[in-house]
Amino acid sequence: MTTKLSLKRLTLLALPLAAVAGVTTAASADEWTPTRSIEFIAPANPGGGWDTLVRTTSRVIQQEGLADQNFAAINVPGGGGAVAWAQIARDSGNPHKLFATSPPIILVPLAGTSRHDHTDFTPIARLITDYSIVLVAQDSEYQDLNDLFAAVEENPGLSIGGGSAPGSMDHISIAGLASAAGLNAAEVNYIPFSGGGEAMTSLMGGHVEAVITGAGEASGQLGEGSDVRALGVSAPERMGGVLADIPTYQEQGIDYTFDIWRGVMGAPDMPAEAVSYYEDLFARMLETDGWQDARDQLGWLDAYQNSEEFGEFLDAQKELFSEVLSELGLLGE
Amino acid sequence: MESLNNLMYGFGIALEPMNIVYVFAGVFAGTIIGMLPGLGPISALALMIPITFAMEPSSGLILMAGVYYGAIFGGSSSSILLNAPGVAGTVATSFDGYPMAKQGLAGKALAIAAYASFVGGTISIVFLMLVAPMLSKVAVSFGPAEYFSLMVLGLTAVVSLSDKSLVKGLIAAVIGVMISIMGIDLQTGTERFTFGTAHLLDGIDFLVVALGIFALAEVFYMLLRGGGGKEQPRNAIGSLKLSRSEVREIAPPIARSSVLGFFTGVLPGAGATIGSFLGYSMEKRLAKDGDTFGKGNIKGVAAPEAANNAACTGSFVPLLTLGVPGSGTTAVLLGALLVMGVSPGPAMLVDRPDVFWGVIASMYIGNIFLLVLNLPLIPYIAKILEMPRPLLLALILIFCMVGVYGMSFSVFDLLLLLGFGLVGLGMRLFGFPAAPLILALILGAIMEESMRRALQISGGDWSIFIDKPISMWLLIIAALSLLLPVVKQGMARIRSARA
Repeated sequence: MTTKLSLKRLTLLALPLAAVAGVTTAASADEWTPTRSIEFIAPANPGGGWDTLVRTTSRVIQQEGLADQNFAAINVPGGGGAVAWAQIARDSGNPHKLFATSPPIILVPLAGTSRHDHTDFTPIARLITDYSIVLVAQDSEYQDLNDLFAAVEENPGLSIGGGSAPGSMDHISIAGLASAAGLNAAEVNYIPFSGGGEAMTSLMGGHVEAVITGAGEASGQLGEGSDVRALGVSAPERMGGVLADIPTYQEQGIDYTFDIWRGVMGAPDMPAEAVSYYEDLFARMLETDGWQDARDQLGWLDAYQNSEEFGEFLDAQKELFSEVLSELGLLGE
Repeated sequence: MESLNNLMYGFGIALEPMNIVYVFAGVFAGTIIGMLPGLGPISALALMIPITFAMEPSSGLILMAGVYYGAIFGGSSSSILLNAPGVAGTVATSFDGYPMAKQGLAGKALAIAAYASFVGGTISIVFLMLVAPMLSKVAVSFGPAEYFSLMVLGLTAVVSLSDKSLVKGLIAAVIGVMISIMGIDLQTGTERFTFGTAHLLDGIDFLVVALGIFALAEVFYMLLRGGGGKEQPRNAIGSLKLSRSEVREIAPPIARSSVLGFFTGVLPGAGATIGSFLGYSMEKRLAKDGDTFGKGNIKGVAAPEAANNAACTGSFVPLLTLGVPGSGTTAVLLGALLVMGVSPGPAMLVDRPDVFWGVIASMYIGNIFLLVLNLPLIPYIAKILEMPRPLLLALILIFCMVGVYGMSFSVFDLLLLLGFGLVGLGMRLFGFPAAPLILALILGAIMEESMRRALQISGGDWSIFIDKPISMWLLIIAALSLLLPVVKQGMARIRSARA
């Protein structure tokens, strides 16, 4: 497990380099430009993470005049993404169809509820990442992660809430953490809520002992006079802003990081010229002021990878997730 | 006194000329969005995020909040006139609103809905202003156990919504619960009732069922019965005026439902739909003429309309004071605020009082706009009823189909709509009440999820539902509301036996 994790850290360190490389290689690639407006699909209802990514990037690309063609944001909700993926998978070779993606593209197929997984689509670029954060109530007796896990070891019934279903992001994140801390991942009594917000309210009301959710989502809850306190973040290094005081897992002696990454994929077998056009487009978008403002406000961190790197990253993620899921006994057939 | 000062400060912001324009634009757009099924407030707000991006945060939120409560305000029109709820929160309004329209009292029903919405909205803004910071404690005090008990209390309304046959009502409610648990189970990831198709993995959207069972079933029923004939002239809209005794009759239900609706809205996850059902069934039970509910009782229109608007305002409490969205709509609002650089939460009252008080003040203005905007429109909107029957039926059909398709762009959902239309027709022909099914559909999923979550936290110990005081009291009230009518009946029987 440790080797894979340090690999991941390496890729993170290599990010700025990758971004530069993306720009230069794309400039010399074959010139292909979209001939009609691009369907940019959020495989979920309006308001969620995918939707926000689709709408924010479309807006920035438009405002900064980066593309001649329009990016049309389209919501295709259903099955945690499965309905949209099934639709896109039928559209092989279409260079005008993109969709927003994140760990569910790996987790949902692993759970056995989607016939399509990341290998069915064309990776375009990884764009951003967020990290997990472990929260407890302000007056909780747990001062750091080791306190919390010592308590879990003593009392496996200790409830830890999260904002997603079992076997999905928040659960994998906390189960992997527990496993790295020397516990059995299945020992965590993970209570799924229908969103990070609901999980945090339950924490404030004292209904659960701890909560794991996205650091960006939680940052609004932290700070002076807050009812909740953070024990650690899954980032490889300290984060910024209100999150700067929160130690990483590694600082607390638990060798584990977890990325909540988001990126863009395209229809299956997209032509290479189109892929390099989009890679370049998104790389340039990340450099604009408009993007940087929006990114900071949403609590995202840039984590660009071009198509090839993103593809390899997805394969590595799949291996990592399968390991945790099988330890949890949640691997679908 | 302090909140009065703050409110004056808020009005200073809300009365800036541009902000008045935004309030007006918001509530106007909201009214129209509310009337059209399918385009609910969630998608409307998501579409507006790019527009509000460049605005002052207070102006942006004023505009978006206006769309939200405007949609709830306007949603009653299609419920009353077509039996086709435009938004989920106005389903309960159709129970008595549509019968009133059939009796030629459409004008009055729409006017009552407008007044009740206005009062419900305004009362709840006063609550929001005075007690919002304290109420954040109430919102967090509801954990899984408390939600379960609240849903149990809500489900007891099945008894009062069941008209003649309790058994048929219970059967309908069980079907409602079964529909509500379709899709991927959040706790285990297991698929339930999905028949192997990805279309059902997320379950069935509430509005597909509601439009099918109410509106489409009505179309089928009229076709079966009248064959498109003109046996019953329905072009009477009737007067908009309420008599003094009618005002006196609806005032207490509006006041009670406003308070109830507000507190339901404060609870994350409850919201306008549940609030309107709770208001409706509470009034039905309290009313002396409870048996006329469902047949065009004016209180049956006033109560849910007051409650859903109050709940809509109430849902701003967790959003603004905790930074936690209680519903899909407020989740989009939260996202929009974050994009504008404001993080709602405990610090917001101190950091961004302009946003907090500006929005509250704008809601007073927005509600007045809504009343002034909606009342004169009633005769025009109600003209729909003057259409010849075949045209009207076709219109309802189009309305339902566009609404459902516009929500998901899924042909599968259109087939589901047709299916539920037939189910609704069958239920009508065989005397099964539709309201319990809809109520159970709304409450079932939350009830089940909360129960399992609570049991998971307690390690399988059922006493968690009684150990938590709020949960215990909710269960006691639920038990009483089931037992009291039985006891009352028994008492009456004893008394009549003695006489």
